[in-house]
Amino acid sequence: MPVNSGLADISNDFLLTAVVIYALAMLAYACDFAYGKKKLPALRAAKASTAVAKASTAVAAEPAPDEVALVGAKSTATAGGIPSTVGTPSAVGTPPTGGGAGAASGDSPSGDAAGSGLRGAIKGVPDRESVGRWVTIAVVLTSLGLAAHLSGVVLRGLSVHRLPWGDMYEFVTALTCVAVAFFLGVMIRYRAYYLGLFVMAAVVLVLGLAETVIYTPAGPLVPALQSYWLAIHVTAMTLATGVFFVAAVIGIAYLFVDRHARRVAAGRPTGSDGILRRLPRPEVLDRLAYRTVVFGFPIWTFGVMAGAIWADRAWGSYWSWDPTETWAFITWVVYACFLHARATAGWRGRRAAYIQLAGFACLLFNVLVISLLVPGLHSYAGLT
Amino acid sequence: MTWLRTPPDAKPDAQAATPEGRSDAAVDVQDVTPEGHRDSVVDIQDVTPEGHRDAAADMQDVTPEGHRDAAATPRPTGLSLGVVGWLRWGWRQLTSMRTALVLLFLLAAGSVPGSLLPQDGTNPSSVAQYYSSHPVLARILGDLGLFNVFGAPWFAAIYILLFTSLVGCVLPRTLRLVGSARQPPPRAPGNLSRLPFAVSYATPLAPETALESAAKALSAKRFRLRTGPGWVAAEKGYLREVGNLLFHMALLGLLVSIGLGGLFGYKADRLLVTGTSFANTVTALDEFHPGRLVGPDNLQPFTVTLDHFSASYVTSGALVGQPAAFNARIRYSASPGDSMHSYDLAVNHPLIVDGARVFLIGHGYAPEFRITDGTGRVIFDGAVPFVPVETTGLVSEGAVKVPDASPKGLGFVGVFLPSAIDVGGKLESYFPAPNNPMVSLVSYAGNLGMNSGPSQSVYSLDTAGLHELAVSPRPLAIGQSIKLPNGLGTLTYTGYRQWVSLAITYDPGQTAALWSGIAVLAGLLLSFMVRRRRVFVRASTDETGNTIVDLGGLTRSDAAGGFEDEFAGLATEISGLHQASTDASQSPGPDLEAPDRTDRTDREGSGPSHREGSGPSDPEQSGPPDPEQSAGE
Repeated sequence: MPVNSGLADISNDFLLTAVVIYALAMLAYACDFAYGKKKLPALRAAKASTAVAKASTAVAAEPAPDEVALVGAKSTATAGGIPSTVGTPSAVGTPPTGGGAGAASGDSPSGDAAGSGLRGAIKGVPDRESVGRWVTIAVVLTSLGLAAHLSGVVLRGLSVHRLPWGDMYEFVTALTCVAVAFFLGVMIRYRAYYLGLFVMAAVVLVLGLAETVIYTPAGPLVPALQSYWLAIHVTAMTLATGVFFVAAVIGIAYLFVDRHARRVAAGRPTGSDGILRRLPRPEVLDRLAYRTVVFGFPIWTFGVMAGAIWADRAWGSYWSWDPTETWAFITWVVYACFLHARATAGWRGRRAAYIQLAGFACLLFNVLVISLLVPGLHSYAGLT
Repeated sequence: MTWLRTPPDAKPDAQAATPEGRSDAAVDVQDVTPEGHRDSVVDIQDVTPEGHRDAAADMQDVTPEGHRDAAATPRPTGLSLGVVGWLRWGWRQLTSMRTALVLLFLLAAGSVPGSLLPQDGTNPSSVAQYYSSHPVLARILGDLGLFNVFGAPWFAAIYILLFTSLVGCVLPRTLRLVGSARQPPPRAPGNLSRLPFAVSYATPLAPETALESAAKALSAKRFRLRTGPGWVAAEKGYLREVGNLLFHMALLGLLVSIGLGGLFGYKADRLLVTGTSFANTVTALDEFHPGRLVGPDNLQPFTVTLDHFSASYVTSGALVGQPAAFNARIRYSASPGDSMHSYDLAVNHPLIVDGARVFLIGHGYAPEFRITDGTGRVIFDGAVPFVPVETTGLVSEGAVKVPDASPKGLGFVGVFLPSAIDVGGKLESYFPAPNNPMVSLVSYAGNLGMNSGPSQSVYSLDTAGLHELAVSPRPLAIGQSIKLPNGLGTLTYTGYRQWVSLAITYDPGQTAALWSGIAVLAGLLLSFMVRRRRVFVRASTDETGNTIVDLGGLTRSDAAGGFEDEFAGLATEISGLHQASTDASQSPGPDLEAPDRTDRTDREGSGPSHREGSGPSDPEQSGPPDPEQSAGE
């Protein structure tokens, strides 16, 4: 079937629109950092300790603040708890920690259902909280941008009558689409709105480069790619790359926040830290990056395996150490290193984060250098 | 025992309440490290790398086998431990997590040259080219095995050590898993509020009744239970460790499958011109790479005839000249003399005969020539495959060799141009399809040297013993001839055929590899999606006669997250049960909004909004608490 160039043009328009909307969303996330009425961690810690002081009306056995919180809360339970009722939630709020961000958890908006009332009192279980105006604007913009982005990708597919990830340009537009969609999911599930600025900045940059530098006109696939395994293998690789993209952004944010936290802890000057002060504690970012990788790693594994099966169907050998295959393997091994490092003494924290970023660097190297410059069986980039 | 990282002088309740080491909840959860290799550090503890070292050292006694922290393993001093001691020490080093990590890194780093340097297995001609352009460097690289990385001894050493390390880790873990599946969950720690997830509330029910209904609720959720005086302990999620072990075992299976293919499989190539046939025997194959245990008799004796080949290309637009489809119509028989079957061979559509598979991997043109020598005898009449040297116009190079022509041997080198066009006096091809197929040849006469010296490529001519003939380099259209000077003969370009290159592969390990791959993925998903978790319930009577119910929960391996929600759900359900049984016996009307809750809501002066992002309500609280927190308690 011939290429429908009209649809392809509309696809380009949609993608350009998406870049613009993403840039606006990025601006809105930045505005939230600049103008959002958010308490700084230090402020919150202070609030929390006053609350603890209020709560601990009765016994105050130990001088340690954590202990006070614990005992105080408990005494409230017995003294103030109505004996005939159940579920007077009285458990410990997460005590303020060194960083000061882990304030008490029982601060949900009142009027929750009974169940979530208990939930609010459980140590270790977070409460729901509402979001600010700038974040609302940013999320709406991100969603709009995603809609335009998705339309662009879908129209590109319709214009060429196939899945729209057959060349480098299409691969990049699709993977950024996955990254934004995945990020929206993470942001909403983990309420990680603070990541918006970083993810959007990276997406705007990559998508902008895709539109300007590596743009490839719509066309049919070379015979080697005409297989339903394209849908399976490349889709999995696109999904995993999008997820790892988000993980890498979180990893970079982690490194900055961690450095900032160390400087604060050491009492050294921290320079311009306006944004860093508003980001969560480093271990929160570390865990989020880990979970993101945990999400992406099986998809990557599956993608590599699907590629092996396809290679077996197309080239007669499921693994022939083609450069692209080799780098997919290297990427897999480095991410496996990351997963193991997080469970190894002396390798957690920053070192693990560097390994994670090294994994993403391997992935990028494969996409940008190997598939463009090193000849191999995977030379489909569509760029000459 | 330092899971809660209590200062040494303050003995934790948890430990005091659990005299036998096995039943210490904190210690046991350790076994379930997230990624396969066991390690002495506990998730819940650390954030700062400095913190781990002592933690790691502390954990030693509870990690007798499996991957441990090598750094913390005492090194035998002198010869005091003897050979066995040193062997034990070496084995511990090898099976330590750090060694595994280093080996993984080496595996990744070792693969890099395999992708950047040409490899013997995939691209021998580039390797030869590298040798001729960088002779000294190439010899050094060759000695290091860098032109055959994935077959090099040092690469094999890395993965064999890695897999040995893996076995040394997985076997003890499997035994331990079996052991822990047979034993009941550990006892409940004394102070549940120390656990990362905890809640406490009062109920008028008797402690026994409260525990009973809690146990029932947990049992209904398929937790394994253990009860004791005043407590219930529940555990779930053993499949996580099963998945973890399955993943690592399956990797081993994958390696074995690859090895099987390397021993009993083979790969071969064959170029086949339209209208010709070949039989799958060693002599008929252009290239043959047998596995170590494959002999000439092990080849499947099929024959293939190429009847027709067609290629179609994009004819307009920006991607003009890009191939759109290749199709080879062949006939084959499983063994000589069997009936022939037709088959359409295409890219992504191989032919499978007796487990061997035939792939279409390339194509090109073979111009046909009729050559008459000086005696007037037709000494050559046939197609000569030329190899494409570029893709946009499929310009192809080749050589025609007629060593037996008399009076002198004849040789021709030249190019085939499928769509020839004159661009400023230079002949080029503008399209890969044969729109204007022309050849341009240079003619030589003399001794072709084919019966002596090193073997020559069929696509090029060794001109050492030849002299060039003075023939105008006029390109030939079909039917045109070159008349050679001095009565040496005539060459006529009679037409062209197409050829395909076929890859024949046989790999008896691939089914096993596929199943191993599926097991790898299944194990990975299990170990990431299932979490091993423990929930404890304690009920006791306080001074005022009320029953206080304490719930505690912990998970070591919540890779995908979500235990916070599960624990909240369980807590809600169990407290709901307690409330329901209270309602049944007493008057209803519990007020779940505790006084201190109102207090909490109020104290946030700016109200609940504008607090997006980090901080107290961050869901990431779900995971392990801070070390400071644990330490301070």
